[in-house]
Amino acid sequence: MAKSTPHIPTSLSAIQGYGLAVLSFAAALGGAVLLERFHFRDVEVPLFLFSVALSAWYGGTGPAILALVLSCVGFDFFFVQPLYTLYITRDDLPYFLVFAAFASLVTWFSTVRRRVERELGTRTAELEAVNKELEAFAYSVSHDLRAPLRHMAGFTQLLQRSSESVLNEKSQRYVKMILESANRMGVLIDDLLSFSRIGRAETHKSLFSLDQLMQEVLTEVRQETEGRNISWKVARLPSLYGDRSMLRLALVNLISNAMKFTRTRSQAEIEVGYTDQQDKVIVFVRDNGVGFDMKYVDKLFGVFQRLHPSEAFEGTGIGLATVQRIVLRHGGRVWGEGQVDKGATFYISLSKSQGV
Amino acid sequence: MSILGRILMVEDDPKDVELSLTALEEYNLANEVVVARDGEEALDYLYKRGKFADRLNGNPAVLLLDLKLPKINGLEVLQRVRADEKLMMIPVVVLTSSHEEKDMVASYKLGVNAYVVKPVEFHQFVNAIKELGVFWAVINQPPPGSIRKN
Repeated sequence: MAKSTPHIPTSLSAIQGYGLAVLSFAAALGGAVLLERFHFRDVEVPLFLFSVALSAWYGGTGPAILALVLSCVGFDFFFVQPLYTLYITRDDLPYFLVFAAFASLVTWFSTVRRRVERELGTRTAELEAVNKELEAFAYSVSHDLRAPLRHMAGFTQLLQRSSESVLNEKSQRYVKMILESANRMGVLIDDLLSFSRIGRAETHKSLFSLDQLMQEVLTEVRQETEGRNISWKVARLPSLYGDRSMLRLALVNLISNAMKFTRTRSQAEIEVGYTDQQDKVIVFVRDNGVGFDMKYVDKLFGVFQRLHPSEAFEGTGIGLATVQRIVLRHGGRVWGEGQVDKGATFYISLSKSQGV
Repeated sequence: MSILGRILMVEDDPKDVELSLTALEEYNLANEVVVARDGEEALDYLYKRGKFADRLNGNPAVLLLDLKLPKINGLEVLQRVRADEKLMMIPVVVLTSSHEEKDMVASYKLGVNAYVVKPVEFHQFVNAIKELGVFWAVINQPPPGSIRKN
């Protein structure tokens, strides 16, 4: 018992631990003697082992050693020939040693297991504290960072309005750039906040039809495809177990990306399909868009990481990071393959059943 | 300007106040606004205490309430308004920077009439303020006991 933590209610004080050792030994001994009266044979060893394990589990190493010593003495005295002496014959010695060794092993296992449990308790508490801090941080970002930004944007706009006739072209351009930057920062903060919210929100998992969800997503994003020539190839997807609204967001991001990066194509092709793997489904979204260099594959899922200049393709670079976070929260995996100018494919692996 | 006061704006940030008033000026609604700089001042106005002791009787047609305020925060003000029989009918609109769901849930639980997140983009901000002002001070029929426009 290296550390005592208040998180485990079964923790005993030292006196209680040693008391437990003595009591459990007495109970084991009494039980064994009683059972022997009724001609049950060889029950004493498991009973003594049980008392040692019990002492190790609830009391720790000290009580376990006490129980072990008591068990050895009791075993020798009551159950080893010659009975009712502490004398050990040479023939019985190996049997005795094996018992002692086995009991020590049980003690050791229990102690290790106990320590791991304790550490887990401490870690969980630490993690919860850190999480709470993070939440407070995100909250303050949401409140306090947005206000000055709104003022910057607001007063710049008022300046623009009141001094339009006075400012020369160059100055007007500067004012415009201040505005653009302030607005962009607003979008970045919002994106970062919703991203952090995905990490903090609880998942509400249920069994649902991925196919139906995909149809919803497609209906939503297709509203933006007017005037575009996109050929869709969408497979019928299976049902799976997960947080529907989170996965919806992931799919929206993947499909929007496919649409965005095929914009330069006269004939865009977007394919959605899946492969079945025992308990997993791997869903993929493939496009014939501008693709990416596999050299940068590690950077795809970074927050605010972009692989294309913002003049070519808009966006803050939070989409794939969001997808990754959602998939990770489902115990799945996400990865991408691509080739410059030949298109990209993004895969997400998701568990079909509840056991995640 | 503090005599008419059909809109009670509770806002601690002077820049936000100025921007909001600029927005309301376009509909000549700026004169209808009384500004309280924290939760305590807001309650002083509502209860005609302190520097508002001499104001005319009647409740504002709407209370625009920021959540993060010095001394007494927005949620507490909301709670006290809803708990007082004379004030409970005042329409309250939370006007905040916070997107946080827990703020929104807490506000609605306390019986807020609307929850508006201040947009960063100026046009949107101005529009939001203008629409709020016009709706609550002009279109909406305030509960009996509110200050009427002459």
